[in-house]
Amino acid sequence: MKKKNRIPISEKSHNSLWGFFVFLLMFAASVSQVTAGVLVAPSVIVLNDRSKTGRMNLQNPSNSPKEVSISFSYGIPESDSLGNVSIFLRDTAITYPNSSLGWIKAFPRKLIIPPNGSQVVRFIARPPKGLEDGEYWVRVVVESQEGITSIPTATDEEQITTKLNMIMRTAIMLKYRTGELIAALEIKGSELIVKDESVDVIVDFGNKGNVSYVGLFECRLLDADNKEISKNHIQLAVYRDLKRKVSLPIKAGNFKRPYSVAVSVTNKGRNDIPTNEMIFGNDLSTLLSLNE
Amino acid sequence: MCKLNKNVLLILALFVMMIAVGTPTAVQAQDVAAGSATATVQTPLTVTATAALVFGTIFQGVASSVAEVDAAAGVFTITGQATSGISIYLQLPDYMSTATGDDRMVITFSTTDCGVDTSANVDPTAASGYLNQNPYNLPTGVVIGGAGQTGLFLGGSVNPSVDQTAGAYTADIILTVAYNGA
Repeated sequence: MKKKNRIPISEKSHNSLWGFFVFLLMFAASVSQVTAGVLVAPSVIVLNDRSKTGRMNLQNPSNSPKEVSISFSYGIPESDSLGNVSIFLRDTAITYPNSSLGWIKAFPRKLIIPPNGSQVVRFIARPPKGLEDGEYWVRVVVESQEGITSIPTATDEEQITTKLNMIMRTAIMLKYRTGELIAALEIKGSELIVKDESVDVIVDFGNKGNVSYVGLFECRLLDADNKEISKNHIQLAVYRDLKRKVSLPIKAGNFKRPYSVAVSVTNKGRNDIPTNEMIFGNDLSTLLSLNE
Repeated sequence: MCKLNKNVLLILALFVMMIAVGTPTAVQAQDVAAGSATATVQTPLTVTATAALVFGTIFQGVASSVAEVDAAAGVFTITGQATSGISIYLQLPDYMSTATGDDRMVITFSTTDCGVDTSANVDPTAASGYLNQNPYNLPTGVVIGGAGQTGLFLGGSVNPSVDQTAGAYTADIILTVAYNGA
């Protein structure tokens, strides 16, 4: 039987080892300190006409106070012609009918979270009368920075020193729902762009419902015998019209041409969103031929 | 006599190092669990200023630059749901000001002063991924990396005039992050 290898060590070495562990623990603490930020949960807040209030938790896991401010902007995912998605935050001159900017309030809006502390921010909706059935959107912008900042002082009267305050903002979606809610999506168009080793699938979606369609967009590259060459999926959130792109690698192998792409969209299987917050709607599927 | 098993020592050392590297993630997970009754189970987005952009001490009339892959680059760390798409925007200053506001110094950012790394790397000198990006027009299609983290590295330049008032100058750099799939 093989003997286990044990290393006899002296008392002095033992003390050195524990000293090493203490150093590692201090290193651990310092790393935590450097990388800690204000945590915001949940990542989507849902209010409705039966429960016009909601809450958000902010947590400061660091050992220094954090100054936090809450503001609102309007911003939904928008795409360019190539299916690249951006969210532009707008504060003024909002003309979109589904904006709830101006009638969602937060309390408090400015706060200092003590080291290792947490704070609840509450929201209340005061929708205008006669609001049509559907979903109304606003972004909750949580801005945080160090509560106490120090500016380095120059050691020489002729010297210049600089301090850049790194400010962090997280934009959380807040949805207000009222009346009968319908999730419905359509494919308005599609395009395949063949590259050397991949194919980009660009699908133009149209929102036919009165809520945001939140789901999964999956594409599978198939050969002539419907053998799968590759597949990929992305999370989809269509608030109005939106183009989304999925890239599929063209893997080498014993595949028969011509190829095709099977596109499917569903709003089932989003396990990152609680079921009671999902508005379920239609599924979509289509097959696109690849002309090489 | 004191005897310690070599393997136990190794495991202890690894454990402590895992605590060091993994603490933010652990805290994040706790935060999800502590969410309200309507909380989603999607990992919350967290933006952290891991390191400030540092120009050090500079002198009148001598411009100073920091590349996005220098050790002195500013570092933001974005943690969240792995592989989820995000939108990121930087708001950058045109000037830095003294505390009293009696003088300003030009700060500029070139079209290649930014890098976005979707690996768990937070070291600008080892940055990979989207390098030489325009900080005023960050790439679309950025995702939270497979390890649940994405780093953003920022360089820049300051241009003190020959009669620049000596002293300390400050400005704000703001990074905004949002999930685009929820």
